[in-house]
Amino acid sequence: MKLTKTFAATAALATAFSAGSALATEDALDIVFINDGHVAPYHVAWLTGFEDAIKAYDEAFDDVEVTGRWLSAEGSLEKMIQQAEVTINEKPDVMFVNAINVDAFEPLVAKAQAAGITWIAVHSPMESADYSFTLGDVVNGTNQGMAMCALSGGEPYKVGVMLGQAGNPSGEARREGILAGIATCDNVEVVAEQPADWDTVKAQSIAENWLTQYPDLNAISGVTDGYMYPSIAIAMNSGNTDLEFFGYDGDIPIIQQMAEGNVKADILLSGTREGWNFVQMAYRIHKGETPEKVYDFFTPLVLTEENHKTALANGFPEDVQVYYVPQALEVAAKGFLEFGPDSVK
Amino acid sequence: MTSTSAAGVGHPKKTLDSLTLRYLVLIGLILIASVGFSMANDNFYSLTNIGILLRSIAVLFLLAMGMTFIMLTGGIDLSVGSNVAFAGGVGVITLTATGSAFLGFGAAIVAGMLIGAVNGFFIGRLKLSAFMVTLATYALARGLALVIYDANSINVSNTTFLWLGGVSWGNMPVVIPFIALVFAGLSVLLYKTTFGRDVYAAGSNFNTAFVLGRRPERTLVWIYVLSGALAGLSAIITVGRVSSGQPWAGLFLEFDAITAVILGGTSLFGGRGKLLGTILGVLLYGIIINGLVLTGTNPYLQSLIKGAILLGVVLLDNYTQRGKAA
Repeated sequence: MKLTKTFAATAALATAFSAGSALATEDALDIVFINDGHVAPYHVAWLTGFEDAIKAYDEAFDDVEVTGRWLSAEGSLEKMIQQAEVTINEKPDVMFVNAINVDAFEPLVAKAQAAGITWIAVHSPMESADYSFTLGDVVNGTNQGMAMCALSGGEPYKVGVMLGQAGNPSGEARREGILAGIATCDNVEVVAEQPADWDTVKAQSIAENWLTQYPDLNAISGVTDGYMYPSIAIAMNSGNTDLEFFGYDGDIPIIQQMAEGNVKADILLSGTREGWNFVQMAYRIHKGETPEKVYDFFTPLVLTEENHKTALANGFPEDVQVYYVPQALEVAAKGFLEFGPDSVK
Repeated sequence: MTSTSAAGVGHPKKTLDSLTLRYLVLIGLILIASVGFSMANDNFYSLTNIGILLRSIAVLFLLAMGMTFIMLTGGIDLSVGSNVAFAGGVGVITLTATGSAFLGFGAAIVAGMLIGAVNGFFIGRLKLSAFMVTLATYALARGLALVIYDANSINVSNTTFLWLGGVSWGNMPVVIPFIALVFAGLSVLLYKTTFGRDVYAAGSNFNTAFVLGRRPERTLVWIYVLSGALAGLSAIITVGRVSSGQPWAGLFLEFDAITAVILGGTSLFGGRGKLLGTILGVLLYGIIINGLVLTGTNPYLQSLIKGAILLGVVLLDNYTQRGKAA
């Protein structure tokens, strides 16, 4: 009898605790981000923004427990496949996958969807995915190329373009855009194109070669700001203060260089902003919203106010969204301004 | 191995040789890692996750077994990862052109052997540094893969070609019994044939083996060809796993293979090691990777953990070797 009473009391207590827990958190949102690396500055900013956003959303909403994990494949396709398979078995609510190659993940998209997981393809769109989170790479690249035309002042202007990795859709799209933008004028000439495989060290080597091979080079354009750091350093070390730079990513240190004049234009992605946007998007989907199947991340061009006026005077299109440096710096650093919990309340 | 202490003439003291000790340590680490990860995540011991784990290390098993043969001779092969991409490209192109999966299989394996033969010729016949030669073929094979693929992936829908890498019997990937057969075959080759003895001889003392007429230079050629063939097999499995040929397949796999072989106790200097150790090394490596993913460990910490484990095992190896020498 005593044992039965004890058992019943224990069961009642356990039920009370469980009920209490259930009432405290009725809903859960688990987000996993699988990326190809974690070393590039942009990826580091992504990771920071993502983790900060997870924490902020979890604290802001009592009725949803928001959790997240970030996985890095360290550049290996095989590791990325494994991570995706393991994650599908874990059944999170949303998977963001920045695939090294989208074709390799087609079989896994179906498996994930069968398990009730929302698959969001990052940067490289996938028809089979529930959503694709894209950057408008072609449009952004075109804006960068047109900025080169508008800021070159009509004079002969030689530029070297550092590309991504061969076969990577995002890099290919940025290249397509940059060349299309440059093609809108006659005076800008692409003297060299070279893939740097998203690798800062390779970019350094390429920059060194170009400065030797093309002593009259006017500018270096890149499909990522990761290339700008070593290129700017090489130019400074060699005393070349005339070389100009056109970036892509919106890294804060590169935007800051714009105020000093060397960097002429950048595309404001900002890994931090993007990391926050991922969580906001996942939250919105979890709450029943249906974004566009191909969701374009808002990515304005960054110019100084003075350069924007110069560019407009030289025929730069007025309808291109431009942020000036102070606004860009603020928004790049504070992803919550645009994509924090307040944006969905 | 048995040793007799001076004080105990009638009672010989049995000591474990260093390889056996290494295997016991590896098994212990495998158990500790498995229990630890299963406590952190219920899914670790699920049949589905075990199937995923085994499939994910299938290619590493093959590459590491080939690497074992090479490292037993004191050599190294940095080209295996790139060879997977190259061989896969040749296989897929052949499949596309002929419609025959078996011709595709054959082409992939032959292509892998070709890179291996190039390695073997320069290292075995011309006696160039294995590190330098395979560093060159690492770049060569990757470049050839990018050319073949034109840097883009090629979708494959031929079910026969995809079978080995893509099909499972329940939760058991079919590739695992296949790997077991390969392991059995390579074990016979290494431990029961003259060729196997020549591999150990070349690693123990190349010059002595040469003087004794064992023709170690020829052995070197063949082990690199073998490694290439295993890379070709790995390419077939990789294509099956992702239903497409991928120009960037196998990236950095050579380092994973070398890590697994070292974990398994094969000496970098040659002459010592066994395939069983490699299997245990691959298993430990795979469990750690799988567990770190399941627990959502920060990617910066993951590199630290993997490096620490490798360093720990190497230090242990050094300690036991010194103890044996004393």
